Amino acid sequence: MIHFLVSVKQVPDTTNIRIDPETGSMIRKGVPAILNPYDAHAVASAAEWKKKLGGKLTVITMGPPAAEEALQECIEMGADRAVLISDRAFAGSDTLATSYVLAEAIRKIDQEDHIDLVFFGKQAIDGDTAQVGPGAAIRLGLPLVTYAVEIKEVNQEEGYAVIVRKTESGKEIIKTILPAALTAEKAIAEIPYAALPDLIASLNFKPEVWSATEPVAYDVDQIGLGGSPTMVAKSGSPEAREPAETINVQEHGVSATVETVLGKMLSNTTVAALLEDLK
Amino acid sequence: MTRRFWVFIEQDHGEMHPVAAELLGVANCLVSEVADELKANDEEAVVEGILVGHDVDNVAKEALMYGAERIYQVDDPAFEHYLNRPYAEALTHLVKKYKPEVFLIGATTLGRDLAGAVATSLKTGLTADCTKLEMGPFRKIEKKLLLATRPAFGGNVIATIVCKDRTPQMATVRPRVFETPVRNPKAKGEVVKEDFKVTPVMMAANLVEFIKDKSTSLNLEYADVIVSGGKGLGNSKGFELIKELADELGGVVGSSRAAVDGGWIDYAHQVGQTGKHVRPKLYVACGISGAIQHKVGMQDSDYILAINTDPLAPIFEVASLGVVGDLYEVIPEMIQQLRAQKGASA
Amino acid sequence: MSKEKLQYDVIVVGAGMAGSTAAAIAAREGLNVVVIERGVKPGSKNYFGGALYTHALVDIYPDFFDRKPPLERPVTETGFWFLSNDGLVKATVQGGVVNNDPIDAYVALRSEFDLWWSEQAAAEGAFIIPKTLVIDFLYEDGKVIGVQTDRPQGEVYAPVVIVCEGVNNLLTQKLGLIDHDIKISKTALAVKQLISIPAKDINARLGLPDNDHGMAISVMGDVSMGLAGLGFLYTANSALSLGVGVTLDALQESGIKPYELLQRYLEHPAIAPLIKDGQMMEYGAHLIPEGGWTAMPKLYTDGVLVAGDAASMVNALHWEGTNMAITAGKQAGLTAIEAHKKGDFSAKSLSAYQDKLNDTFVLQDLKQYRKFSAFLKNHPQFMDIYPTFINDALGMFFTGFGKPKRKLYKDILRSLTSRRPLFKAIGDIIAFGRSIIGI
Repeated sequence: MIHFLVSVKQVPDTTNIRIDPETGSMIRKGVPAILNPYDAHAVASAAEWKKKLGGKLTVITMGPPAAEEALQECIEMGADRAVLISDRAFAGSDTLATSYVLAEAIRKIDQEDHIDLVFFGKQAIDGDTAQVGPGAAIRLGLPLVTYAVEIKEVNQEEGYAVIVRKTESGKEIIKTILPAALTAEKAIAEIPYAALPDLIASLNFKPEVWSATEPVAYDVDQIGLGGSPTMVAKSGSPEAREPAETINVQEHGVSATVETVLGKMLSNTTVAALLEDLK
Repeated sequence: MTRRFWVFIEQDHGEMHPVAAELLGVANCLVSEVADELKANDEEAVVEGILVGHDVDNVAKEALMYGAERIYQVDDPAFEHYLNRPYAEALTHLVKKYKPEVFLIGATTLGRDLAGAVATSLKTGLTADCTKLEMGPFRKIEKKLLLATRPAFGGNVIATIVCKDRTPQMATVRPRVFETPVRNPKAKGEVVKEDFKVTPVMMAANLVEFIKDKSTSLNLEYADVIVSGGKGLGNSKGFELIKELADELGGVVGSSRAAVDGGWIDYAHQVGQTGKHVRPKLYVACGISGAIQHKVGMQDSDYILAINTDPLAPIFEVASLGVVGDLYEVIPEMIQQLRAQKGASA
Repeated sequence: MSKEKLQYDVIVVGAGMAGSTAAAIAAREGLNVVVIERGVKPGSKNYFGGALYTHALVDIYPDFFDRKPPLERPVTETGFWFLSNDGLVKATVQGGVVNNDPIDAYVALRSEFDLWWSEQAAAEGAFIIPKTLVIDFLYEDGKVIGVQTDRPQGEVYAPVVIVCEGVNNLLTQKLGLIDHDIKISKTALAVKQLISIPAKDINARLGLPDNDHGMAISVMGDVSMGLAGLGFLYTANSALSLGVGVTLDALQESGIKPYELLQRYLEHPAIAPLIKDGQMMEYGAHLIPEGGWTAMPKLYTDGVLVAGDAASMVNALHWEGTNMAITAGKQAGLTAIEAHKKGDFSAKSLSAYQDKLNDTFVLQDLKQYRKFSAFLKNHPQFMDIYPTFINDALGMFFTGFGKPKRKLYKDILRSLTSRRPLFKAIGDIIAFGRSIIGI
């Protein structure tokens, strides 16, 4: 039976982050925690292929207890097994420490039940680094295809997969030996609307919880703050700039406004030179 | 002791990616920032480039013209097309050999694929998508460290990251965040050919076919004029109007993340922290609220004109000039007046 | 994937104030209750000014305050503000009767509170299914025996369904309990902003002694630009909630956009200083059923009960909606329990619901205020002339230094009569009285 594993992350919905003016830290209240969108699409893709080939799907996440919700969403989408790797000792992990934790968990799961393809989302929308997928892949010695937009073929017998990778200049069709790893773009699969029984199953679901010592005995020097070479030296709000001069169309009318705008733009030498070149 | 400041020279089938030049410029700035330490310790610092590819001697020569003192070049037919494993292994091998202090990689699709793998192999720290790099003091550490500044949490926080106790200190930088240094055709520098054997294990994933994207005449990052549309357009049809204005101004079409997420335009046009960084001479933001992720991608433009119905839209904070009004009224009028002006002077 | 039929004792549609209450009451009695909520979480589709009323909350959970509910400030000062074009008259009351223990009303944020309220229902044993929309009913012999949701394999069965679907009562219409869609003359659209301001600044600007004091204000006058509607101001812990609601037909006729109303309100010279340097945290809108009695559907049929906004249970003048929803939810829950005991889910059996509601303030008040929303619409002078007059009258009175008072009073009277003849003004007051007494 083919076995897929997807590593997911629960993230704050960063499209609307606000900083508390009094404390300078992020206001978490009212900011929903969501399953990282890229990870969600990765799970959808893995679930699709699992159904096609009659296989098994495991999802894992490293996070606080609340990350259980993200795993529930994965069960809703068709995952069979979910593992929450949670321990205070992981707090403060940067991408190097995180890829270590995930890689070792994947290794452990693989020991019991060989994994054919590991999926990651392209990047987490809070860190936006896109480093954990490649980091875990190289620790596991897996060939890696990033920016995957389509899985064309998975051949378990002959042990290969054909994956389409999107770059700035076009699409690459990559054939890779299995086991392998990929990081997924949203295009890789659509998120399905789960059947009601599947949703109900996910609501009642509780994941397996792993700690920093059981069942994997993590090396203390490679996790958490101690295992993170990078740290925040300082942080703050971006500098506020002087608000621009604004012209209100309601006050002056469209025509007069545009006239004024073009006039002001032309009084800027850079823009004037640009517009000159056009003529 | 030579302190090495390295830049990955990205190339695509024999063409150097401009971001490599930009990073060479940055690397040289970093070197100048440790001039005092060099003097005090009687040390040298060099800016060097790492080039991996097949038959790319011309790229090595090009890279030298942008401020590299030396290029280490690895050549093998296996490197003709980018693949994660062989490239990562080659870089790791060279880093272990020469032990650079700082290693910069462009945050392109290729660079982001590569950097995480290399940093993890080297068990070192990597900071992604930096908007500012400098050498500076950190706590009681004697030597200056690379202070890598990047927006976090969608740009609402600006964080400075350090990598202490590990080398090389790695960072990725998106194209166009930094300026292109002046090209010096007379630059003298050496190219050192390095041996590296690519083994079959590294080739477990292989390129079968490459389908070139026909619509890549879009060069957002290096455009002089960009007209961008956002959520305020209301629908994908609005981009026809944006294109009209862009054509009138001799520019290209950009967009906010909201418009891309809404499926109105392709991601290739996205300007912002998770899209492209741009620094055009003229940037026109239409119906874009100016959320920080977008601002971060275009605030270095020389002149910014913003059009939005909401007088409180944050875009007005970075704009040089703002218009509070309906873009569906303002833009057609602009096009009309621009045409009239052109007509008048013709 | 289960192929078993999803069978419960009670289905509740909607996990808002009415739904979670009905579910809690029925589950507490041991019934197998499922609540089907369309939002990502209970509360994500709920929105108001606003304040919750203690009487209803402790009626459901006597130990309500011990459970540490997520409430904002208690309402220790409340009343009316009358806005003229550039002026403000405040008529509020604090202390005395308002100073109850516990306080009668608390400002709340619905996405948090409704989630918590649903968790209390879950603790009673109700099973809540989010992210799922009920689109139709399942019938047998003309009786409702369950609901159809929009998910694959989405049939859910129960002999009684309590519909708490909110103001956009499509399911209620589907059942034929009302013969028309929501009417624009009987539905208001309210828009608001939640603006974050440090607690001590809120206290300083509104004259509150500390963070344990708060305000709930009904704002009349310029805030709705002459349209039938009201504004509001509520103090959250460290944010101000300001908004305005206007009937849909008034918006349509006037062409005024809701955000224009809100923007104008926030820029009013007396309001702007209150929100200076504040950061907008939320910007939202919601429909409010305004028709009350006149827009009420039939409240029950075979296998179905309707409660809350879906049943138009809102008293606009007194800002009572959530407590009506809770009260109705409770009565619906009790009716469902009785129906199960009798094994009878027919309309006749379920009519006990209406009888119960007749004994509560819900139906009594809705009947009494049945003329009120039409009244506001037909008497726009209450939204423009009178608030302006109150401002002018008091303003003139208190700046009449050195003026012969006889002339001053004449001037004050003229500031009314120049806008509305005196006999008509007296008639308006009588009409207003009648509309709230219900005769």
